[in-house]
Amino acid sequence: MTHTVIDKSRRNDRLAEVLIRIGGILVIVSVVWILVMISRVALPLFYPPSATVVATVKLPTSISAGKALAVGAEENQRGAFILDETGTFHFLKVADGTLSASIKAPVTPEGATRVVSAEYVGKSAYNLLWDNGAISSVAVALSSTKDADGKASLSHDVTPQESLSFAASSGIVQSFARPVEGKGTVRIDRLAGDRLRITYQLVEKDLLGNEKRNNAICEINDALPGKLTAIAVDAKGHYLYAGTDTGMLLRWDVSEPGQPHLLESMPASDDRQAITSLALLLGDVSVAVGDAGGKLTTWFPVKVAGSGEDRRLTRIHTLRPNSGGVASIIPSPRDKTLFSGDGREIHVDHTTSERNLLTIKSANPIIQAALSPKGNTFSALDANGALTVWKMDIPHPEISFGTLFGKVWYEGYDKPEYAWQSSAANDDFEPKLSLVPLVFGTIKATLFAMLFAVPLALLAALYTSQFMSPKLKGVVKPVIEIMAAIPSVVIGFLAGLWLAPLIDKSVLTIFLSLVIVPLLMVFTLFFWKRIKTASPLQRATRGHEFIAMVPVVLLGIYLAFLLGGLAEFQLFAGDFKQWLFSTLGVRYDQRNSIIIAIALGFAVIPIIFTIAEDAISNVPRNLTAASLALGASRWQTAWRVVLPSALPGVFTAIMIGFGRAIGETMIVLMATGNTPILSWSLFNGLRSLSANIAVEIPEAPFNSSLYRVLFLSAVLLFIFTFIINTVAEAMRQKFRKKYGRY
Amino acid sequence: MAQAHDQSGGAPILSVSNLNLHYGEAHALKNINLDMTRHQVTSFIGPSGCGKSTLLRCFNRMNDLVESARIEGSIRLDGDEINESSTDVISLRRKVDMVFQQSNPFPKSIYENIVYGLRIAGVNDKATLDEAVERSLKSAAIWNEVKDRLNDSALGLSGGQAQRICIARAIAVNPEIILMDEPCSALDPISTLKIEELIEELKKQYTIVIVTHNMQQAARVSDVTAFFYLGELIEAGGTRMIFTNPLKKQTEDYITGRFG
Repeated sequence: MTHTVIDKSRRNDRLAEVLIRIGGILVIVSVVWILVMISRVALPLFYPPSATVVATVKLPTSISAGKALAVGAEENQRGAFILDETGTFHFLKVADGTLSASIKAPVTPEGATRVVSAEYVGKSAYNLLWDNGAISSVAVALSSTKDADGKASLSHDVTPQESLSFAASSGIVQSFARPVEGKGTVRIDRLAGDRLRITYQLVEKDLLGNEKRNNAICEINDALPGKLTAIAVDAKGHYLYAGTDTGMLLRWDVSEPGQPHLLESMPASDDRQAITSLALLLGDVSVAVGDAGGKLTTWFPVKVAGSGEDRRLTRIHTLRPNSGGVASIIPSPRDKTLFSGDGREIHVDHTTSERNLLTIKSANPIIQAALSPKGNTFSALDANGALTVWKMDIPHPEISFGTLFGKVWYEGYDKPEYAWQSSAANDDFEPKLSLVPLVFGTIKATLFAMLFAVPLALLAALYTSQFMSPKLKGVVKPVIEIMAAIPSVVIGFLAGLWLAPLIDKSVLTIFLSLVIVPLLMVFTLFFWKRIKTASPLQRATRGHEFIAMVPVVLLGIYLAFLLGGLAEFQLFAGDFKQWLFSTLGVRYDQRNSIIIAIALGFAVIPIIFTIAEDAISNVPRNLTAASLALGASRWQTAWRVVLPSALPGVFTAIMIGFGRAIGETMIVLMATGNTPILSWSLFNGLRSLSANIAVEIPEAPFNSSLYRVLFLSAVLLFIFTFIINTVAEAMRQKFRKKYGRY
Repeated sequence: MAQAHDQSGGAPILSVSNLNLHYGEAHALKNINLDMTRHQVTSFIGPSGCGKSTLLRCFNRMNDLVESARIEGSIRLDGDEINESSTDVISLRRKVDMVFQQSNPFPKSIYENIVYGLRIAGVNDKATLDEAVERSLKSAAIWNEVKDRLNDSALGLSGGQAQRICIARAIAVNPEIILMDEPCSALDPISTLKIEELIEELKKQYTIVIVTHNMQQAARVSDVTAFFYLGELIEAGGTRMIFTNPLKKQTEDYITGRFG
C-alpha cells in the first residue's frame, strides 16, 4: 500500500470518528435540552411568592381615616377607593394620592344618615348597614387604563343592587344580608345582648306572575356557651357560624325561614382561646377560625363514621399561628388563600397546601384592608391615614410537595386522600393535583400490559426462533413486526370502542378462556403424541405444529363463551357484574384494566417479540448442537441453553417493551376511561401520567398551576424512564458477564 | 468399490452399510460401507467437502437438523438400526456423543456444563453429579486446572481448556462412542498435543471416531483410518497400512500431498 492510501484511510477514520462523536454528543445535548426546557416550565411552581409595595400615600385631608369603613384597589394597582361613613366612595390615584372622584351611594334608605358598617360580599359589592338599621347594597366598579403616553386614567362607578334592601330596624350591632335562591332575601342580625335575629323577606310568585311578599322573623333561642365574639354567614344564607369567648364554635342551619336550628357546638381548640374571627373560604364549604391565641384553622363538615348522612364540622387544616392573635381574616376571592392577622402583621396562607406563603408587615396598625377581585392586589389603610397598595405575586399557592405527593384532606372528602381533579363546573372548587394516582395508574397499566405481553411475546419468540420452520418464520416474523407499525390511535380506538363493549358483554368468557384454552391445548398435545409416531406426518408437520393449534384455541374460546353464559346464568344470577358489585363490592367499569392489558399488550408484543427473537436466534447453532448432541430434547435445549444464553437480549427486549408501555399515551387515553383512582382492581380504569398530559394540556391555561404541574409530571415521566433504562442497562451488563455475549 | 478392512478382528460397534445421503439434489455420501471397532480410534481423512463430517453426523443423527438432508441405508449401533424414524434419537445421542470443531461450552459454570447431560436426563442427586464431574474432568485431564473454580463461568477458559471441558461434558453421560469433528483445528500445538494424549487415554474406555484435516494427527492417534473423496469412501484400513502402503492411488496421492 502506498503512503497516500494509508494517509487517506487514516484521515477517513478520523473523520468518521469525529462525525460519530458529534452525532452522539448532539443526541445527548438534545435530550438534556428537552429535559431542561420541560423543567423550566415546571420550576416556577416552587418559586417563592412575593408582595411588593406599589405605593404608600397619605389620604387627602378631606377624608378621615378613622371614619373609613372599607378600602379597595383595582387589579393594576393604579386606583384605590375608600368608603366613608357618609356612604361616599372616594376614588384615589395610587401614584400620588390625589382624589379622582367622590361618588355617594346612589340609594340612601329612608331616615338613614350614616353608614355604620360595610360588609364586602364579593363581586365588588358591599352591603351597607345604616345607622337606623336599614341595609342597602351597592357595587363598585373601578378600573384603570393606560393611554399611548403611558398616562393612567381611572374609570369608576357606584351602582345600586336593588335585590338586597332591608328596612330600618333598631338595636343592631352587626348584620348580614343575603339573597336566598328561590325564596327571596334574608338578613341575620346580631343585636345588643348577644341576640341573633333572622329575618326572611319571602317572595312567592304564583302562576300569573303576581308577587306575594311575606316576612318571617325569628330569633335564635339556643343558649350560647359564652359571649359572641365572631359570626359569619355563607353566601347563600344557609349556615350561620358563630364563635364565642370560650372558644366554642357553633353552626346553625338557617335555610328554613322561621326555623333555625343549631347543628353543632364544639370547642375549636384544646386551650379554648376566644374565637376572634370567622370567615368563609371561597366556595363556602370551609370556614376559617382564628382565635385570640393566634391559631388559625379551617373547618368543614365531614360525614361522621357510622351515622349515615350526619355531617359534623371537623378541623381540617391548621395554618401557621399568628404571633399577635387573629383579629380578622380576609379570604381570597380567587382561591383558598387566607389573609389573616392582627393589624401589624398579616400572614398569607394557603389552606389546601397549608403553606405559609408570606408575611406582610405594617408599621402602624391596619384598620381596613381588602383584596382586589382577582386577588392580586392588597390594599390596607392604617391608623395614621396612610393607604398602602401591594402587588401580590403568588402564582402557585396550592402547590407544595405535600399536595403533589401526599394525602390531602380536600373539601367535601371524608378523609385525606390522594386525588387528581384539575377542574370542575364551578370556579370556586379546590383543585386536586396529586400526582400519586397518575403515577399509580402508569405503573398499573404498564404492569398489567407486561403481565399480558411478556409471556406471550417471549414464548412466541422462542417458538418462532427454535421450533418454527424457517419458511414459516419468514412469514410470521414480518407480520408480527407490522403489528408494531399499527398507529396506537387505531389500537386505542379498537380497544375502547370495539373490545371494551365486547368484553363488557362477556367478562366470564375471558376468565374461562384463561383456563379452558391452555387445558384444551395440553389435551390436544397428548392426543397429538399418540398419533405422531406415524412418520410421514411428523416430517410434514415439523415447524408447522402451531397451525393445528389455531382451531383448538378458537374452539377453546368458543367453549369458554358457551360456558361463560351458562356460568353467569347458573352461578351469578344472570349478571356477573351485578354479582361483583353486590357480593364483592367491586365496581365494574367498561373501560378497565383488562382492556388496557390487552390493548397496551398488543402494542408492546411486537417490540418484545422482535428483539427477543433476534436475541434468541443469535445464539450460535453450535451451542444448540452441543446440547442436542448430549441427548437434550429441543425443548430442553431451548429452555436450558438457548434462553439463558440469550438472556441479556431478552432482558433488553422486555425493558424496551416496558419503556414503550410506560410512555404510551394514545392507547391508555382511549381505552382506560381515564379515571384517576387508586385501585388495583382489574375491573377499574386508570389514568396514566402520559394520558393525563394529553387530556389536560389543551384545557390548561397557559402558565397556570395545572399547566406547570403537567410539565412537572412530564419531568417525572422522564426521570422514570431514565431510571428504568439505566437499571435495565446495568442489569443487562451483569447478565452479559454472567451468561455470555449474545 | 469402497470396502471395509476390519483390522482389529473384534465385533464392530458401529456398522454402516450402503449409506447414501442427499442434500437436496447434491449426493453427499455415496454408498458408504464401513465398520468401526470397539475401543479403537477411527479417523476420517480427506479433502474439504469429501463428506467425512457428514458421515460422522449420521452416527448421532445430527443431520436431522438439516431440513434438506435425506438419508438412505443402514447404520447399526451394537446391531440395532439407528437410521429409522422410529429410533429414539435422544437415547441414541446419550450413547453416541459428539465433540465439535469449535469448543462450545454453555454460558454456565464449569460444573453446570459438565452435569448438563445428566441434568437433562433427570439426574439431580448432588453426590452423583459431584462424582460425575470429578470423574469426567479427571478423564479429560483438566481436573487439576479447574478443580478450584468449578463455579466460574466456562466462558473464561482458554480454547484448549474449553475443548477439554467439552470432552469432559461428553464423557460425563458415559457414552459408548465419542465422535470428534476436527476437535483440534482451532487449537494451538500444545493444546492439540494434550487432546491427542487424551484421546489415547480415552480409547481404553470409549470408542472414538475422529474427523481430522491433519494427517499427522490421524497417523498419531488412530488405529484405523478411512480416506474419503467426493462423498466416496476410497479406502479404509489400519492406520499404519494406509499411511505406509495404501492400496489406492488416490489415497497415496492425498497422503503424500499431491492434492487435497
